[in-house]
Amino acid sequence: MKTLKEMLAEARQVVPEEGPAEVAKRLEAGDKLVIIDVRDPDEYRDGHLEAASNISRGFLEFRVGAAVSDPSTPIVLYCQTGLRSMLAAKALKDLGYSTVINLQGGYQKWVQSGLPTVREVPLTADQIQRYSRHFLLPQVGDKGQRKLLRSKVLLIGAGGLGSPTALYLAAAGVGTLGLMDGDTVDITNLQRQVLHTTADIGKPKVESGTRTLRALNPDVNVIPLPTRITVDNVMDVIRDYDLVVDGSDNFETRYLVNDACFLAGKTNVHGSIFQFEGMATVFAPGQGPCYRCLYPTPPPPGLVPS
Amino acid sequence: MLPGVVGTIQATETVKLLLGIGEPLIGRLLTYDALGMRFREVRLRRDPKCPLCGTSPTIRDLAIHRNGAGAACEASPDGHREATAAGVTPKAGG
Repeated sequence: MKTLKEMLAEARQVVPEEGPAEVAKRLEAGDKLVIIDVRDPDEYRDGHLEAASNISRGFLEFRVGAAVSDPSTPIVLYCQTGLRSMLAAKALKDLGYSTVINLQGGYQKWVQSGLPTVREVPLTADQIQRYSRHFLLPQVGDKGQRKLLRSKVLLIGAGGLGSPTALYLAAAGVGTLGLMDGDTVDITNLQRQVLHTTADIGKPKVESGTRTLRALNPDVNVIPLPTRITVDNVMDVIRDYDLVVDGSDNFETRYLVNDACFLAGKTNVHGSIFQFEGMATVFAPGQGPCYRCLYPTPPPPGLVPS
Repeated sequence: MLPGVVGTIQATETVKLLLGIGEPLIGRLLTYDALGMRFREVRLRRDPKCPLCGTSPTIRDLAIHRNGAGAACEASPDGHREATAAGVTPKAGG
């Protein structure tokens, strides 16, 4: 019979370990890693790596197939201190998973290294029902929904583009929506700006927009920002958000949002329309072009009426 | 109705980016022609001469925007114009 010590030593022979900093670096670089937290569900709920799914040690061999379809995919396992996951990693090696790494020091060392973690907030009974169709989508699921609920999106413009964007993001349960627009509702807006109603004419767009969005989904923290975006406020405003949606209606704002997002490292989801034509793209700093790559200069005045 | 289509595409892209799923429209410009009811995709590349995100950027803060819209928009008179070349003119409306 083997002692625990011997079993761990045997596992260490075949399972490489990587420290928190190394694993964090690989995640940052976008390496395709599957991270599995093998602790019990209550430990996972108290705090875990954002990228990790939870398959507790007892179920690992039974459920790993559903989480990792290709046995050559690199898998990182962790537990609280790195011992349970070492034995778990050995079991996965024995099952034929070729690249299994143990997070050295486990969750404890990850936290001590000052690396980010997330805490699972329990979903309410209403939320479980409201987002039940998301849970059925394997790409979203319970984990994705929690991620959406933790996300913060800034919508620049509560007009033609901002209205549908805001409605769908609120419905989907994006937890924080900043709604920025300095205009008031005009009767000529109502033919396309579906956040606002006839009774809202004359009111600030962010006021009617906030009311509509809160009524649609009370889970969403809507932050009304009743001002135009300017060179003086843009950096302060975008800092608090994960991502910016540009639904503005003029070139001056487009270039300002583009430049500010690039300098602040925020992804900018861009849309624009004219008459019967529209376009959309995503400007992600460091990953693709920006609005200035696309249009170095604005069209001459008069060519494109706004 | 047109803004509904484009705004909904923006919402879809936002959720994909937040969840890290699918293929976002990074480096791709999707255009929508409602009358012809056609979508078209134009590949976009980074402009190494881009004054903001190019290899030797001249825009390092937002000072350019303090001089009014004209100056802010006319930072690069000679960059390439893929989208314009592909016949996609910028749209002002939102």
